[in-house]
Amino acid sequence: MTAPTVRQPAGATDAPPPPPFPPDVVEEMLRQLAKTVRTHQLYLPNNPIYQRAIDSLRASFAPIWAHTDTLVVGVGEQEFRWEGLTLAHEASRSESLAWTLYKDGVREITLQPGFEGNELDVLLDILRRIRKALPEEDDLLTLLWEQEFLYLRYRFVDAPVAAAAPIEGPSESCPTSVPPPAEMPSLEESRPGIVRMDDFDSTVYFLDEHEIDYLRDAVQAEYQSDLRRNVLAVVFDIFEVQADAKVRTEILEILQHLMVHLLTTSQFGAVAYLLHEAKEASSRAQGLTAEHADTLRRLSERLSEPAALAEMLRSLDESTQVPPQAELDELFAELRPSTLGIVLGWIGKLQNASVRTVLVKASNRLAAANTAELVRLILSPDEGTALEAIRRAGELKTAAGVAPLGRLLSSPSVQFRQAAAQALSEIGTPGALKALEPAIGDADREVRITALRAVAARGHVAALDAIRSLVRSKNVREADLTEKMAVFEAFGALSGAEGVELLDAMLNGRGFLGRREDTDMRACAAMALGRIGGPEALEALRRGSADKEVLVRNAVNRALREATE
Amino acid sequence: MSTAAIPGTGAPAGAATTAERGSDAYIRVKGIAFLNAFYGAMRTVKLYPPDNAVVQRALDELVQHTEEFRAHEHELELRTSGEFLFLNHTRLRLDLDNFATFSRIISAFADAGVGSCGVSAGAGKREWTVFLSLFQGVSREDDPDVRRARLIDRLNDAGVRCFELGPPSDADEEFLEKAKEAAKRTYAQSVSVTREVINSLRMGHSPNIKKIKRVVQSIVDQILNEETSLIGLTTLRDYDEYTFTHSVNVCIFSVALGRKIGLTRLQLYDLGVAALMHDIGKARVPLDVLNKPSGLTDDEWRQIAAHPWQGVLALFQMRGQMDIPYRAMVVAFEHHKKIDLTGYPKHIRPREMSIYSRIVSVADAFDAATSRRAYQTTPLSPAAVLQELRANPRRGMDQVVVKAFMSLVGHYPVGTMVVLDSFELAVVHSVNPAPDAVSRPVVRIISDAMGNLVHPGYLADLMQGDPATGTFARTIIKIADPERYGIRISDYFV
Repeated sequence: MTAPTVRQPAGATDAPPPPPFPPDVVEEMLRQLAKTVRTHQLYLPNNPIYQRAIDSLRASFAPIWAHTDTLVVGVGEQEFRWEGLTLAHEASRSESLAWTLYKDGVREITLQPGFEGNELDVLLDILRRIRKALPEEDDLLTLLWEQEFLYLRYRFVDAPVAAAAPIEGPSESCPTSVPPPAEMPSLEESRPGIVRMDDFDSTVYFLDEHEIDYLRDAVQAEYQSDLRRNVLAVVFDIFEVQADAKVRTEILEILQHLMVHLLTTSQFGAVAYLLHEAKEASSRAQGLTAEHADTLRRLSERLSEPAALAEMLRSLDESTQVPPQAELDELFAELRPSTLGIVLGWIGKLQNASVRTVLVKASNRLAAANTAELVRLILSPDEGTALEAIRRAGELKTAAGVAPLGRLLSSPSVQFRQAAAQALSEIGTPGALKALEPAIGDADREVRITALRAVAARGHVAALDAIRSLVRSKNVREADLTEKMAVFEAFGALSGAEGVELLDAMLNGRGFLGRREDTDMRACAAMALGRIGGPEALEALRRGSADKEVLVRNAVNRALREATE
Repeated sequence: MSTAAIPGTGAPAGAATTAERGSDAYIRVKGIAFLNAFYGAMRTVKLYPPDNAVVQRALDELVQHTEEFRAHEHELELRTSGEFLFLNHTRLRLDLDNFATFSRIISAFADAGVGSCGVSAGAGKREWTVFLSLFQGVSREDDPDVRRARLIDRLNDAGVRCFELGPPSDADEEFLEKAKEAAKRTYAQSVSVTREVINSLRMGHSPNIKKIKRVVQSIVDQILNEETSLIGLTTLRDYDEYTFTHSVNVCIFSVALGRKIGLTRLQLYDLGVAALMHDIGKARVPLDVLNKPSGLTDDEWRQIAAHPWQGVLALFQMRGQMDIPYRAMVVAFEHHKKIDLTGYPKHIRPREMSIYSRIVSVADAFDAATSRRAYQTTPLSPAAVLQELRANPRRGMDQVVVKAFMSLVGHYPVGTMVVLDSFELAVVHSVNPAPDAVSRPVVRIISDAMGNLVHPGYLADLMQGDPATGTFARTIIKIADPERYGIRISDYFV
């Protein structure tokens, strides 16, 4: 809570001169400032509540600037001071804005008109950051220094430093006269102190455009380079060059801490580089002790351990920033094959859709490089892991996964059968299609349709008998139109001219007591005939073009067009 | 509001320090905008007739900047003092983007015999047109006072009374004195913090990087405001242990060089931290080896040569930092490498040498060679060191950086003792900002022709001519060895 203004001078006994204008306007501004800082902690800048607070704060400067163009406010531990008056005293130091400034050394701030513009936003952002800052982070004085405020200046005290010897003035023992310079013997020509103007080409002192560009490019390169990798390269170079055991022990400790730090700050590319160079150093460093070799190996394997990797994936999911795909790919390339299961298991649990997208792509690369592990994971007891492995096997067209995927087609789980059918369909090799054949008769409609479309698309003739049986079966007549179409599409694609007779009979024929196939069946038969094409199929279609049902006639006409194009 | 504030830190040793920052930021930023408008209008008025659209636009801009500045500061006075340009007592910063503007405005003021120009209310387009036309049309044949008086008369005749012209003045002694005091505080504090950090590391403790940041911020502010005083303090000898003063000197030279090549304030800060910490690895070298006056054994040399990579490890030992000082680590590792990446320490992985390492290498080599150390009782003259850095390819310096460094310190680096053709002794005080005056620095005359020393002496710009002869009043004829005269150069900078 902000306490009311104390109208007595702070720490003075004599009556102070009256303030040049009412203190209420200053106090109101300080109150609004404290309120806005709190609001800034709680709401994003685009939040209406924050917007209202900052608008009020900006407006609170106008009455001050009506009286003065320079406002000097002292900063106390729990209060501000102005013209000898204590303003905006807070009972609680932790809530006090003054304390936020005071504890980092600020003792006075001076504001001028114009501050309430952009500079106010900058200051609010600094105050928000400093309130959340850890002790290791930059303090208020550094954050203020980094900005060049035009309308804000501040006076501060800094922590004392160890005794610095004052820089004395001229020594008292210095001479009052010296030999007249004209009489001093000349230094020898060879002495470096002699000026030979020939030594100096005056043009050497001024940079030409090319040289200025060279320096600017170098500075630009400095700020575009990856400093972390640079330092890691330095550290590993030191490790390899310096055979001293103590030095190597120290470096390994540094690397262990550094890896955690890099992970904490989501520097995945640098972590990947660290893991990679740890392997390099392990194979290249001369005179490596067993202990150091083991530490290096553990360093590169540490992140592949389930707990460590799960922690990293959790932090990724909770992070507000999505890591660059390339960095994550690079990191995953350094992980052990056994980590694939952990990563796949996490994909289904991720809350952050953007992170999931980059992780799926990264896991694909990991899976592609570790096919055996991927195949093993298809039959993982962990449902989430197995499902992701099945999907990856399909996306990556992993032929080695056909056998376990085929086995999964007899799984009691519909979800697994669907995923396996889809994966086999994507793999699409003869083996995969062979494995997929039983799925044509699966109990689940999705599985059946997936299988039918796959064999049709790949021209898997071996499935023809099964499909012909299906076309003749009662089941297809009870199926919905989509499934019927899938069945007839597949039959048309695989049977060729041999299938015309059966389809013609279905489209144009009549059965017992002159009954015809139902409309959907006739339309599907027409579609299949169109797919087969050829004179016999066309003839059958032409006969069907006079069908009384519009749906059938449309199907026939469409088939005729497709067959003759 | 106008103050001659020089950001700085520090108070007597061991005390909490107080400082103010940001006080002249408005004038510095808006002042450069005003100066650009002033120079733009000067040029267009000289080139085109007054009613030309280009002239009108330039004048509009100048009037707008004038009014805006006066509305905020209530006054506007542009003043030259030595090589400096002041706006309302605040020295404007010179950098790569504006040095030509500075130089030409200073020359124009000198040509007109004017040292200061106050602008009061009523300076509209007409008044500026008249002023700028007459200002640039003054004949240079007469004495400066005569030229100025004639200019004032002509302005009065034209009914323009909103410009108050003052005579040229010598370098602003008050400003320089304040700058010198601030520089001394900054220097002392920087050495103290460096000592604290290195000793702390020697004791196996983890020093706090926040103090380092603070002193580098002060050095950057000081260099941006008035670098001469701080650079002058690099001539101090025996102020403290060599390692500490050397680190601070390298930081000062590096930041000054960085400013010269146009680095931003935050880039200067990065460079400054790296430069101050470049020798941090020496904290891990035994003192008896570090301070050994005679020849080193192979093993001792190995220990010394380890300091660049030991510096990297030492920097990991620092605490109080969220961000690991990667850039400082790279510079610590590379500062003894040559541009072709030979030198020490050895590296294995492919790398490119950082520009900051190249800058620090030059600053390091210059300060080391011009300093007295345990194993170098007779330092080389600054000019000889510059010559060596430039001419000896085995030094492996980046020649563009060396060239930039030479343009920073001039033919005669600050602190060089010289004999003038008047047979006076002088100490180089600052490099002359005029591009064609590298061999004519501003010097402090410290003795007359008879050898009578004067303290603190007085400043003389060697670009100044002698009206009687039409030639330069003074010219350097040779460099002198201060030790032969028993003179301590740093006495003239503290």
